[in-house]
Amino acid sequence: MISGWRIWCVMAGAIVVLALGQAHAASAIKIGVAGPFTGDQGAIGEQGKNGAIIAVEEWNAKGGVLGKKIEVVWGDDQHDPKQAVAVANKFLNEGVAGVIGHYNSSCSIPASTIYHDGKVVQISWGSTNPQLTDRGLWNVFRTIGRDDQQGSVAAAFIAKKLKKTKVVVLHDKTTAGQGQADEVVKALDKDKIKPVYYGAITQGEKDYRPVLTAVKQKNPEALYYGGYYPEAILLTKQMRELGMKAVFVSSDGVWQQEYIDIAGKAAEGAFITFTPDQTKIKEAQGVIKKHKEKFGSDVGAYTVYSYVAANMLLDAIAATKSTDGPKLANHIRKTKWKTALGPIQFDKKGDVLVSPFVVWEVRDGKFVEVR
Amino acid sequence: MLVQQLINGLTLGSVYALIALGYTMVYGIIELINFAHGEIYMLGAYMGIISFSFLTTLHLTSPTSGVTFLIMMIVAVLFCGACGVTMERVAYRPLRGASRLSPLISALGVSIFLQNFVMLAQGPRDKGFPHLFSGGGIDFPGGRISAIQIFIMATSVIMMVGLQLLVHGTKIGKAMRATAQDKQMASLVGIDVDRVISVTFLIGSALAAVAGVMVGMYYGLINFFIGYIAGIKAFTAAVLGGIGNIPGAMLGGLLLGLIEALGAGYISSEYKDVFAFAILVVVLIFRPSGLLGKDISGRV
Amino acid sequence: MPTPRPSIALIQRPFPRIILTSLWFGLLSLPLMMELKAPFFGLERPLLVSAGVAVASLLRLAVSQRGGLGAERFQRLMGAIAGAGRDLLGRMNRRVLYVVVLASAVVIPLGLNRYHIDILTQVGIYVMLALGLNIVVGLAGLLDLGYVAFYAVGAYTYGLLSTRVGLSFWEVLPLGGLLAAIFGVLLGIPVLRLRGDYLAIVTLGFGEMIRITLNNWDSVTRGPNGILGIARPRMLGFTFSTPIEYYYLILAIVLLTIFVVDRLNRSRIGRAWTAMRDDEVAAEAMGINLMKTKLLAFGLGATWAGFAGVFFAGKMTFISPESFTFFESVIILCMVVLGGMGSVPGVILGASMLVILPEIMRQFALYRMLIFGGAMVVMMVLRPQGLIASSRRGIALGPKDRQGPASAAVTSLQTG
Repeated sequence: MISGWRIWCVMAGAIVVLALGQAHAASAIKIGVAGPFTGDQGAIGEQGKNGAIIAVEEWNAKGGVLGKKIEVVWGDDQHDPKQAVAVANKFLNEGVAGVIGHYNSSCSIPASTIYHDGKVVQISWGSTNPQLTDRGLWNVFRTIGRDDQQGSVAAAFIAKKLKKTKVVVLHDKTTAGQGQADEVVKALDKDKIKPVYYGAITQGEKDYRPVLTAVKQKNPEALYYGGYYPEAILLTKQMRELGMKAVFVSSDGVWQQEYIDIAGKAAEGAFITFTPDQTKIKEAQGVIKKHKEKFGSDVGAYTVYSYVAANMLLDAIAATKSTDGPKLANHIRKTKWKTALGPIQFDKKGDVLVSPFVVWEVRDGKFVEVR
Repeated sequence: MLVQQLINGLTLGSVYALIALGYTMVYGIIELINFAHGEIYMLGAYMGIISFSFLTTLHLTSPTSGVTFLIMMIVAVLFCGACGVTMERVAYRPLRGASRLSPLISALGVSIFLQNFVMLAQGPRDKGFPHLFSGGGIDFPGGRISAIQIFIMATSVIMMVGLQLLVHGTKIGKAMRATAQDKQMASLVGIDVDRVISVTFLIGSALAAVAGVMVGMYYGLINFFIGYIAGIKAFTAAVLGGIGNIPGAMLGGLLLGLIEALGAGYISSEYKDVFAFAILVVVLIFRPSGLLGKDISGRV
Repeated sequence: MPTPRPSIALIQRPFPRIILTSLWFGLLSLPLMMELKAPFFGLERPLLVSAGVAVASLLRLAVSQRGGLGAERFQRLMGAIAGAGRDLLGRMNRRVLYVVVLASAVVIPLGLNRYHIDILTQVGIYVMLALGLNIVVGLAGLLDLGYVAFYAVGAYTYGLLSTRVGLSFWEVLPLGGLLAAIFGVLLGIPVLRLRGDYLAIVTLGFGEMIRITLNNWDSVTRGPNGILGIARPRMLGFTFSTPIEYYYLILAIVLLTIFVVDRLNRSRIGRAWTAMRDDEVAAEAMGINLMKTKLLAFGLGATWAGFAGVFFAGKMTFISPESFTFFESVIILCMVVLGGMGSVPGVILGASMLVILPEIMRQFALYRMLIFGGAMVVMMVLRPQGLIASSRRGIALGPKDRQGPASAAVTSLQTG
């Protein structure tokens, strides 16, 4: 065994070496990209990462912005609020021109205060908690819709198109999932439909049979799930295995090819709300193709939100010819954007004015937009 | 609904039991809560799917044949066994003389390391698992039991019976019991304590590997993080039954599965874990060493 | 002992051993890293792993005391540095040392940027948490895996009382500590009779129960949305808002904590705790009331987490259940063990390292946590008693010398 003092010396040396190893390119425009890149939500973080990577590469291929290369400073917050704060401070330290992030509302919110202090623009690619923008901070935007916006589309579809009245509503106890589910409940209420069962499942677990068995007792005709695709896959499969025939309806976090691939036949006939067909949007062609080439897989639900956010920031820098926070924010707010998500305009709070969501159906192993 | 929930619970519990056995065996022998045990189970699940893809992509065997399944199990068991033994050698053996907490922290380090290694090597996304036993099952008035649920319960029972036979009927089993009782005496009578401990880890990891492969097939979806939650649950189960006690781990696992299923079905899905822990506390108040553990309230 | 077989003798020689070990690890990582569609089936990756293991083993060989290349010269160099350090510190008066440390803590941050100051503030919070847990685990020997629950209690107390009732930071600070202490005692009551690892799982469960309740009790805690708009601490009309202001506030609180905890350690109750930790039966025989001692440990230990929680809420102005996971409890425990259980400077060092190291390692991006896990194992294996072992009876030995799960395990494994 090595004695204590030697350990100290080796460790101290290592720390010094590590601390010194923080060199950067001298003249580059830096932007911060934050999200849960490692940890149990690493899959989601990866989407935000990839979207930003593609956007930055596109810009750098055209010569960067303001004549300089764009350098990304990555901020892994592991969906931990205190790490988000550390990341925010780090970004300010590095003098980033703007931040694309974070994903989790619990991270975006405390970080936004810091960005506000530092007069830095923040565009979130995944935070859906209304509180993020309700505070009216001038520097905060988000390309993703708020919780409330998708739910009404799904509810209207269930009530009017599918004409189902016995509805079960489940969610995954996260801000986004529960927000969507609550919105569906509110919207269904307008059509005088009250869910026969309302409950939550735990993210990360695998076995939802107990809950589904209880739900099955109510003979539901439709099941709405507010949440993300891994749980949706399990719910769908287990529903069918238990012999439930209810229609499965869910939101954009489930709009993933993996859902169809892994849930297989069980996914047939499911309805998922999502933005209109991106393959028909000119601005989206680039990112869809490049993602396939570079990463070998299709874009995820959040990839494009991040791609769009990065593009907005870089465009603002180019257009205002500056990296001054307030100027950038002004530009972002005033512009009528044409993006890979469709046309976007921000309201005073930093939310997308009209977030178009339509219903897609899983038919023959593919997502098909429902007319 | 009750019958269906019982089936759900027993299936879930069988899996917990298999993982809990590994915890309890290692604890019985070196008094270590092996936090990295959940990761062994996760590795088993990954080895199942990796070997399956390997075999089917190269068209060596058919996706639905029993041979494929057998190979998956063998590969997973061998791999996890090797990992378990290596883990013990590298992270725990050097700490055998130290306080109880040092190997615990080391185990946590191993757990973090393995999770991140798999995340980096296999990607952070969930991996789909093919259904070898899709469909099929028996319907009856109370509910439905699927083929794979039967399979899981049967396999678990076979494994547990096999383990009991091993521990009580073989020489190595006797050596394990002796070492658990008193390490020093065991080595004095000629038992190679190091080897016994390695074997314990090997067997515990093998059981976890079987659980991993079966869980992969049952749910169809795995990721690098499943060991974390399953580990906590299995540890709870082992304690519920009396840690260090093999039948206790089996009982604890099954009970925990039932409690979770019934709790989620009848009470509330959100609070089911609270419910499970509450029951654990109540049990421990009345039986401080778990259900089958010997009473050790310490009255000299 | 019988003569080792030739193959074993070969394994005991360093170089063949390194080669075999590297190949073994490469083999283990092969299935996970292989990819049929990649150019060489991805086989170069396990080779990298093998190479890495080989390099690490060679380094270890070079540094170990049992000789190797240049080991002696390296040893002597290290010894000289260490010796010089020890000399310097030894010559200084204890008091002077404390003043120097204190002065640095006050002055150095003035020259640092906000990122570093924020990290130091975090260190402050975790030092408090680790000192509190040290009472429970290090001194009293009660393995608490759910310590984060008390942290959450403190934070949510301030969060709720600030946003709903409008109480100020200073008004809630004692309340937060008190409430946490009550929860600590509540946890202590059902676990009084439990030993070692049974205790661990119950405390783990307790921590999880608190977190799940916080996440689901929407009407009170607002569930996953968390509580926003928590008031910042104010003093005489001045609001703490910049990083450095928060830093000085936590510094003051931490210094107070260190002072009180140190006094506690040396007091009669502190000695009662260590006596109980080392041998419950003997302690009781000497007249120590086990129940009272345990409850005091849980309660007093929890209090510091409560204070830390209140501060945390005041600093973040936003709290959510995601900050209070089982993993947090684990990290705090690591700080205590890594630093050296029972020793106050050790625990402070442990807390500092476990906060600062992951931040420094951010440059390794995706590999950060991998390295962190590996580093934990390495640190424990190289120095199991922690960095600064407690001066009082070094290592807390296991429950072998008292009735514990071991005996129970024994009899039950036997009879089945």
